[in-house]
Amino acid sequence: MKVALFVTCLTDSFYPRVGEAVVRVLRHFGCKVEFPTEQTCCGQPAFNSGFHDQAAAVARRMLRVFEPYETVVTPSASCAGMVKHHFAELLGDDAQERAAAERLAARTHEFATFVTNKLGVEIGKHLEFAEPITFHYPCRARGIYSLEELSSWLAGADAVDLRTPRQAELCCGFGGGFAVEYPEISGAMLGDKLDELVSTGAKLVICNEGGCALNMSGGAHRRGIPLRFKHLAECLAESLGLMEPEA
Amino acid sequence: MKADDRLRLAATDDNVRRETVARFLDWLKRRQRTAPPETALPDDPQTGAREVALDEDLAARFRRAATTVGMNVHTAMLSDWLDVVGELLQKHEARSAAIPAAGDGFFEAERVEQLRQRLTGEGIATQSDVDDETLFSVDVAITGVAAAIAEHGSLVCESQPGVARGSSLIPPIHIAVVAVEQLLPDLCDYFDGLSKRSGLPAAISLITGPSKTADIEGVLVTGVHGPAVVDVVVVRPA
Amino acid sequence: MSVTKSEFRQRIAAGIADERVIRAVHQATLHKVDAAAEALAELSDREGLRELAAQIKQHLLENLPEYLEQFVRACERRGTRVHFAADAQAACEIICAIAHGSGSELAVKAKSMATEEIRLNDALQAAGVRTIETDLGEFIVQIDHDRPSHIVTPIIHKDRRQIAQALVRETGCDYTEDPEELTAIARDYLRDIFRRCDLGITGANFAVAESGTICICTNEGNGRMSTTRPRVHVALVGIEKLVPRLRDLPVFLKLLARSSTGQPLTVYTTLITGPKRPSDRDGPEQLHVVLLDNGRSEILGGPFTEVLRCIRCGACLNACPVFRNIGGHAYGSVYPGPIGSLATPLLSGINEHAELPRASTLCGACQAACPVKIDLPGLLVKLRAQTRARQPLGKRLGMNVWKRLMQSPALFGWGQRVLRWMLPGGDDGWISSGFGPAGAWTKVRDLPRPPERTFRERWREGLDDEG
Repeated sequence: MKVALFVTCLTDSFYPRVGEAVVRVLRHFGCKVEFPTEQTCCGQPAFNSGFHDQAAAVARRMLRVFEPYETVVTPSASCAGMVKHHFAELLGDDAQERAAAERLAARTHEFATFVTNKLGVEIGKHLEFAEPITFHYPCRARGIYSLEELSSWLAGADAVDLRTPRQAELCCGFGGGFAVEYPEISGAMLGDKLDELVSTGAKLVICNEGGCALNMSGGAHRRGIPLRFKHLAECLAESLGLMEPEA
Repeated sequence: MKADDRLRLAATDDNVRRETVARFLDWLKRRQRTAPPETALPDDPQTGAREVALDEDLAARFRRAATTVGMNVHTAMLSDWLDVVGELLQKHEARSAAIPAAGDGFFEAERVEQLRQRLTGEGIATQSDVDDETLFSVDVAITGVAAAIAEHGSLVCESQPGVARGSSLIPPIHIAVVAVEQLLPDLCDYFDGLSKRSGLPAAISLITGPSKTADIEGVLVTGVHGPAVVDVVVVRPA
Repeated sequence: MSVTKSEFRQRIAAGIADERVIRAVHQATLHKVDAAAEALAELSDREGLRELAAQIKQHLLENLPEYLEQFVRACERRGTRVHFAADAQAACEIICAIAHGSGSELAVKAKSMATEEIRLNDALQAAGVRTIETDLGEFIVQIDHDRPSHIVTPIIHKDRRQIAQALVRETGCDYTEDPEELTAIARDYLRDIFRRCDLGITGANFAVAESGTICICTNEGNGRMSTTRPRVHVALVGIEKLVPRLRDLPVFLKLLARSSTGQPLTVYTTLITGPKRPSDRDGPEQLHVVLLDNGRSEILGGPFTEVLRCIRCGACLNACPVFRNIGGHAYGSVYPGPIGSLATPLLSGINEHAELPRASTLCGACQAACPVKIDLPGLLVKLRAQTRARQPLGKRLGMNVWKRLMQSPALFGWGQRVLRWMLPGGDDGWISSGFGPAGAWTKVRDLPRPPERTFRERWREGLDDEG
């Protein structure tokens, strides 16, 4: 199957290893992966901030860039959500653009749901963890995958010590522009989230969102908390022997 | 006429009041809607909202639910309900009780009389022609109910001739006597019944537990403005 | 960069800094979230019930004039006097006039957000009507000259010491910090008021169009007291509070208390249809319903209509991590939390309150908790779009620059290199200070240095060849 990778601006800039892991895992399960080099961003930051003209311009461009590709896969549920749930409404004024947006929405998939539902792979079977793990359910994954689905992918790993936080769905406080627009509130929410994660006793946090990872890893480092954050794709790639484990 | 005066007049003159309401409704109807109405009213909300099936063991469900919300449920038979009520009054060390009006649910005139005699026999002052002053001074109020709902363990008290709203509200202890036939399965059943009546009582209160608050530091305290104790006596026929 | 911090930001800072209050808010809201989840799980089809509730309310709002007409006719049949108040001032005038017209000097109030919205107590006091709040929390707020910080539990920001001091001041009682004793003191004081009052003022949780019935849900019994003892009862009802039929009520009653506090029902659910009948033993002789607009008709029929579905359960406040960390007073308004971030701008001016909808991560916890399925995050984004012109010039220009970067892969790549250059990081690869957005970020956390090669650079350097 041919798949076009939509790597997302944050992952491209801060977490290229996640992009690499996605490519290697998809190839391992039989996909030919292309990377449309013209891609930049889905426009989510502008959309959430209310700057809908700018967001629409960027969304329009993304439609053009990904038009030739049958299947689009992205490592970020929030970006998948932007394309699948908001592009049509954002471009709704023009009937043709709206139709194109709806078509792209149907062809765009978040990585883990794609591997599970379209490639028919049982993710858990291919995962290995050498230590207890916990996880962060990104609030923007709502409508893309559920807390139960995320848990099941991880719980399927052989002999895994999976520690579910009491408030697994608690927002980490990133919220895109919110993190720099209201840093005090963001920091307070971040404190609550880190407390939740620390209380599980696990040091490795499965986190599938670049923004959340930046926020939580930065917060953990500032507070001297020894938490590490990894994307599910990285865990899969490492467990499958496709990439060297990172510290 | 100045706007202020018109408002004051609207409050006290029925014609002006009605005219103001009518003008607003007219204006609201004529306002342009951005979208035509598209959401249908669900025909039968009962189907989606019902929790208790019609054939459940209502007495058992009622007892569980009422106990969970902090009411004390006692069972009695037609042959011994007076004893059960009498024991409760003794337990509460009641010296005075407001007794129900004839026609208040379980309490046909004869049963009211039986109750009165029993209480008098035990030296408990009975108040039947209750006015508000009485209710503020009695230890206990004994009432019937218009219905009881198994789903949440709710008592339904309706205002009707002789039945004061305040009886189930003002005294610190409320003893409600419920005939088991008065039990309805689900909240939906009670409202279904209401919607079929030709006229509603002025006041209906569903009572689901003793009065309570947790406003002070989240600490639960019972007996704020309503009764602190609610005893329910469910009477079976035999 | 703004030179002066806005009032909102000052209130946020003050809220966050009050550790005692924030701890209390955490405890109270987290407890309620758990209790609500447990109570809602008991329903056999919670999602189906929410969908029913959302549909009924949406249908009502789409046909509001007809249902209001039906409600007014039903009220007239029962002898309930219906008034219309276009705004807060009109509502206050009408209620004061009713008080004067009926010779009422002492009024009792059950908890009503609508009466707080119109600042009724101030108006009544100015008109010479002594008005006493009877909900325990609101009573404490009143005697302590404070403001409520939560729409359901108004004094979660107060501790027992403050409550005790307020009660001693007001009633002259002996000092105690025991919640049961404090409640008993308030109860006795208020019982005396109930015995003497002339006028009862309430809101309504619901108003039934087909029968002219108003429904009041309370736990303490003050709602019943306020509608039983006085000669005159006035209910202030927002025009959006209607439901079409009596048999719609169970749908909402089954969701309201469960979502709000985790109880199956509130202790008292009171349904009032008209003043007392001649043969009734007690009850008010006059019943007035004041229908309140105050900005609701502006929202009706527009893109924010679904905000009017709100049944004031407070579940969104309890679920919101922003509310939990800044407290209710930070919102500076009668309606705090997620619903307040929408309602306050929509009712009181979207430009004056343009910041409120921005203080959210759009995490959706509120939407998941809302019994009538209001799309709070979606509406917050809509409000942000409507007020984007109020954003600082630097931000607006920055968005255009961002757009240019995103429209050209060359510029985008250049931007990535600039970012790497601007964030050199310390020895361990972490940045702990900066200017502009990096400065704001690093106020509360560090920033990892961007890696040497971006993904697209790695792709060009060989990742593409391997498949």
